[in-house]
Amino acid sequence: MHFKFVHAADLHLDTPFRGVAAQGPLLGRFQESTFRALSRIVDLCLRERVAFLLLAGDLFEVKDRSVRARLVLRRELGRLHDAGIESFIVHGNHDPLSGDTGTLGLPSSVKVFGPDWEEAEVRREGRRLCRVQGISYPDVEVRDDLSARFRRTGDGFSVGLLHANLGGAEGHANYAPCTPAGLGSRGLDYWALGHVHTRSELMLPGGGVAVYPGNPQGRHALETGERGCVLVEVEDGGMRRRFVPVDTVRWHRLEVSLTGVATLDALLGAVGEVVDVACARELDGHAVRLVLTGRGPLHRELARPGALVQLEADLRARLAQGHPPVLLESLRDGSRPELDWEALQAEGGFARTLLEEARSLKEDPVALARLWEQEALGSLGQRLKRLGVDVLEVPRMEWVSRASLLGVEALHEEEEGA
Amino acid sequence: MKPGLRIDTLRVRRFGHFSDLTLELGPGLHLLYGPNEAGKSTLLAFLRAVLFGFEKRGSPERYAPPEDDAPFGGELRLSTGMGPLLVRRMAAPKGRKSETLTVLGPNGDAVSEERLKDARGHVTRELFFDVFAFRLEELAGFEQLTEERGASEALVAASMRGARRLPEAMSSLRKNAEQLYKPNGSNPELNVKLRELEEVQAQLREVGNRPALYFSKRERLESLGVELGGLDSRLREDGLELERLARLESALGDVSSLATTRAELESLPSLKTFPEGGEARLEDALQRSRTHRGNVARLAEQLSFTEAELERLSAPSPVRGREEALRAAVAAYSERSELVRALPARRAALGMKRRQVESALEELGLGVDGPGLVALDLSAGARAGLEALSSRLDVEETGRREVGGALARARSERERVEGVLARTELELAELPDVRPAQVRQQQAGLARMRVARADLERLGEQKMEARRRIDGLRGPVTELPSSSSPVIPVWLVPVAAAVAVTLAVAAWLLGGTVVGVLGLVGGLVLTGLLEFARRKVESARDAERGAWEAQQQSRKQEEERLRVELAGYVAREELARRELLASATEAGLSPAATSSDMAARESALAEALEQAGRRESLSRERDTLRSTHDLALRDERQADELLRGHEARHASLSTELTACLSARCFPVGLPAQAALALWRDASALRQRWQDLVADEAALSADEAACADVVSRLRALATDVAPGATRLSEDSNLPRMEHERGSANASSKESSTASSESMDLVVMRVNAALETAREQETERRAAEERRRELREEKARLDELCRTEEASLSALLAEGGGGDEETFRRRAVQAHRYAELTHRARELAHRIEARTGLSDTEAREALRALGGEEGLRTVLSQVRARHAEAQEKSKEVLTEQGATRNQLEQWENDDLLARLRIQEETLRAKVAELATRYAEDKLALALLGRARRRFEEEQQPRVVQLASEHFALLTEGRYRRVFIPAGDERELRVSDGERDWSAAQLSRGTREQLYLAFRLAVVRDFGETRSALPLIVDDVLVNFDPGRARSAIQLLAQLAEHQQVIAFTCHPWLRELFEAEGAQTQTLESRDSAATLRAV
Repeated sequence: MHFKFVHAADLHLDTPFRGVAAQGPLLGRFQESTFRALSRIVDLCLRERVAFLLLAGDLFEVKDRSVRARLVLRRELGRLHDAGIESFIVHGNHDPLSGDTGTLGLPSSVKVFGPDWEEAEVRREGRRLCRVQGISYPDVEVRDDLSARFRRTGDGFSVGLLHANLGGAEGHANYAPCTPAGLGSRGLDYWALGHVHTRSELMLPGGGVAVYPGNPQGRHALETGERGCVLVEVEDGGMRRRFVPVDTVRWHRLEVSLTGVATLDALLGAVGEVVDVACARELDGHAVRLVLTGRGPLHRELARPGALVQLEADLRARLAQGHPPVLLESLRDGSRPELDWEALQAEGGFARTLLEEARSLKEDPVALARLWEQEALGSLGQRLKRLGVDVLEVPRMEWVSRASLLGVEALHEEEEGA
Repeated sequence: MKPGLRIDTLRVRRFGHFSDLTLELGPGLHLLYGPNEAGKSTLLAFLRAVLFGFEKRGSPERYAPPEDDAPFGGELRLSTGMGPLLVRRMAAPKGRKSETLTVLGPNGDAVSEERLKDARGHVTRELFFDVFAFRLEELAGFEQLTEERGASEALVAASMRGARRLPEAMSSLRKNAEQLYKPNGSNPELNVKLRELEEVQAQLREVGNRPALYFSKRERLESLGVELGGLDSRLREDGLELERLARLESALGDVSSLATTRAELESLPSLKTFPEGGEARLEDALQRSRTHRGNVARLAEQLSFTEAELERLSAPSPVRGREEALRAAVAAYSERSELVRALPARRAALGMKRRQVESALEELGLGVDGPGLVALDLSAGARAGLEALSSRLDVEETGRREVGGALARARSERERVEGVLARTELELAELPDVRPAQVRQQQAGLARMRVARADLERLGEQKMEARRRIDGLRGPVTELPSSSSPVIPVWLVPVAAAVAVTLAVAAWLLGGTVVGVLGLVGGLVLTGLLEFARRKVESARDAERGAWEAQQQSRKQEEERLRVELAGYVAREELARRELLASATEAGLSPAATSSDMAARESALAEALEQAGRRESLSRERDTLRSTHDLALRDERQADELLRGHEARHASLSTELTACLSARCFPVGLPAQAALALWRDASALRQRWQDLVADEAALSADEAACADVVSRLRALATDVAPGATRLSEDSNLPRMEHERGSANASSKESSTASSESMDLVVMRVNAALETAREQETERRAAEERRRELREEKARLDELCRTEEASLSALLAEGGGGDEETFRRRAVQAHRYAELTHRARELAHRIEARTGLSDTEAREALRALGGEEGLRTVLSQVRARHAEAQEKSKEVLTEQGATRNQLEQWENDDLLARLRIQEETLRAKVAELATRYAEDKLALALLGRARRRFEEEQQPRVVQLASEHFALLTEGRYRRVFIPAGDERELRVSDGERDWSAAQLSRGTREQLYLAFRLAVVRDFGETRSALPLIVDDVLVNFDPGRARSAIQLLAQLAEHQQVIAFTCHPWLRELFEAEGAQTQTLESRDSAATLRAV
């Protein structure tokens, strides 16, 4: 028995791209990119004559915001329907089922899993190819381990389709948390997961595999590199997986060292070189975040107020005219005073006390929480959360580290300047 | 203790009332003693001012000299951890930047102010004034030290490594955080962005759940579509009904007229069978009968005329029956007429051509006529033979010419070689017969002779040198240093010993045992010394003798060596002489030949060598030339033979050619090329002759054919047209045959005339033929016409009969037997038809209007209640229809609007823009909030670290303070401490209870503060920098015991860092001096600030 299927997740259709100017030639390309990524996934399905397509949640960035997103999804799945290819969908935290009455009118070959565990079969010429199980999020916040409701119901290839956080991945809300051991114990052959935007694969105890294909289109400067979906080929119980990039605009985080760069022209040259190397692929566009690192003769000049902003504007205009066009998301000064941490620790003194204080704070979440409230960061965090920004929701340990570095740098600023 | 700062020299230029005051200070404890107004406080202020800057203008502490505008200030000479420094600070009483600071390094060159700051240990001005240089009234204020943002942070900063910039860092972070966000602010960046984000989100909320709206609208659109469908079908039904009723209404008039028409029809008899258009048909039939009768009469007339015509044309004609033969004769003649006309010209041209060919034949000169020429063998084979002969002859000729050229060349080459050979022989005879090897051997001999001679000379010189050196060695032999007799004789030693013993015995006898022993010992020692000196001298002399002998030995060895060398030279000289003799013989010279002889001999030998070489090359050249000559001779002979062969072959070919020519009647002796040309001409002529004979044969054949045709034509013409025969009687045609072959003018004319008369005959025959044909045609036409007329007449007769029959039938059909009755009934039938037509028309109109047959329409009308009922129903339906149309229009409008709205939502830019703004603002807010949180956390961390640092560091300072305070109070109080918490209060304890500073007496409180300050100073000195402590009469409130303790403490401190104290109290001065203070006394102001060191 031989068949193929495509596994994609986190389409985030019609994502608004931050850092892309509301006016400008690149906006269109970026706004179209999530749609084009979906089109390319569908093209891949048609080209490879797959049996079915799996979409593991977060199809929409925000469910009740974009009419276009829904229409495009309907159109693209309609193409698969016409070619006799089935689609299976679960909804995730960005597009939960709540309030959706199915008015979208997807083609009949599309199976949208409900809030309870369901299993569907893929059949060809009267024979069963595969079983697909799935659960959609009924609401945004799902804190239960949904994977526990999955189970193998018979022999043959079985796929679990789920939007979940496997192993508590950092940087993603901990929805539907699950563990490799838990997934392994369900006895499925392939876990088609969504939610984590970085591509990864995990061999499960018991022989199954859990795959995050990542999102098919990077949406901001933290989602760099090529993005796409996974094409799975199943033959006689064996399985081959191949990642296929489908993104049309690509994000990069590029570091440019100031060390040894004497003039602004040389810096522009160095930036041009770095960008040219990274953005050579013939895509609709590239977006870069430039980080200046190291210390050099230019550091002082760039530290002048407004200098960095001016340089950023200049570079942005320059890069946008290239081919393929490159969007400069931001230019950041990541150059840090070169402090000898070892020496600071060994020397003792105030810096050491500061670092020790930071360490003890990191080890004591209660004290940190108290300090957090004391400094009124909790209330600010609540206010931000109401506005949909959850950056200050909980005190994070790495901030204590960064704050201690900030403090040490502030204490040594004069010596640096002198 | 860290290296710090020490004031070595203090020099006041102008400050307060001081001018040009110099104080020498140094390490240790210093006391500056002076009465009130001597200027102690002024000096304290001076030290503070030079180290940290002058006080502000107007401050009493500035101590600007009041009297004039001259600059004031002074300088300090400092010892620092990094070498000495000179700090000069001057201030102008006026001007904006009045203060100048000069810092000079160890070499007197200006250095950066940083050096001074480093030397001060980066202590702040406030801390220095509070802790290191203070007055009594400043001692009492500890509050400044405990202030949250004042000296406390500075104190901590100053006493902490790595925390020097803590206040600045904290204030900078605080400022950053405030610029980013204030909880209740509106201008900081994060506040602004939050507000913007809230606005954007409010706008987004206004837009609402767009997809839900969209899909509900979509549903509405679909339901509208359904509604519209229903409305449309209703409209269609109503429209149909309306149309039906309207039609019925429009047909109302027609229905009533139809009824009246039908009634009238009922009144008429049934005339359906009456022939349609009966009257007209009757008239037509009568008219037709009349016309037919007229036509028949006219036809009979035409028929008789035609028959008369036929009779006339049937008369007989002579031509008839012979047309075919005549036409064939005329055609045969006209076919050949051109040929007949051309015959004479052809004959003349042939005659001319014949004459030309005959004359050409004569010119050719072959002596044959035409037939003879034809008989000659001029075939291609024969011609090819001739051509081959000719080419072979050419080849032979060319070969002969080439061989002749080669022979001449070979001959000249042989002659040239012979000449060169003769010259070479001649030159060779002139050269002497010497071989170069012999000459070279002689040259080698000469060279060896030279070498041998040079060797001889060198050996002679070396021999001389050796002899000279032997003589040198034999020269003066240094004498062995004499003095063979010893310097000090051996016997002198025992004699001396004996004298010493004797003297010792004498001394023993005279002075006693002690003197005796002493004398003996002294004598023996002297004797020993003498013996030691003698041995020294002896050994020196032995060494000198040994050296001399060794020298003699080496000299002998050297001489022996030189002698052997000399003998070797002699032997080598003998060898060289022999070599010289041999080489001289070889070179052909006497051994005694001079060098000029040798040079002459050498040049002669060189010349001989050259000649010998030349001779050798010449003889080689001669051999070569001889072989060349042989070759040339051989070539010449070969060429000669070849030439003879060619000539023989040429002769045989010429004979062959002559035979070939005579066989063809060609002139013998003609060259081959000319014979070929003649051949070509003859064959061309023969061709022409053959063509001519063929042409003549063709001409005579043509003439015979023409004569035959002409005679046949003439025979026929006599029968048909007698005139034509007569005309051709002059024809000379028979004569033509006789005169064929020899053309002349008369025959030509007659033949022309004959052909013209023949043309005339032909013309007439043709005319006769034409007439006969025309008559025949005419007759046939007449016959045809007659037949047609007869047929027409028969047809018309038949028609007349039919017409009669149809007329009687019509009358019978009309119902009456006669015309009258027929006409009356016809009028009635017309009316009947009219009414029927009208009724049918009305029925049609009703059907056209209503789509119903008239009966159905009547039924429908009856069903609707007649005309009245119809109108009522019609108005009802109309109203209903209009209403439905209105509704449909409304639905359509709504449908359009909905569709527009949907399209707009499908491509909504505003929403997209808002979402981008929201996302961008969220990102910005997150970034700013992160920065704010980091700043706040950093601030909190710094605060916590400071407190922790204080807690950890404080025990040292507080411990020191406790020690000091216990010492000062002579054990009354044991401990000083700062309670935990933010209340920064200093407390003391005696072990049982504790007190706050405020609860202590003034003196004790001052002691506490001093103890604490000294603790800070010590701690600072240990951890940072040892700075001088300057106290201005701070002990006045202490009792003498505690004052002594305090001064002891200061003295202890002064062991590590400089302490400078001021006082005006003599009892304190005594106490200071008791502790080893270096005291300097300041005179009162009146004594012009002079200084007296004690």
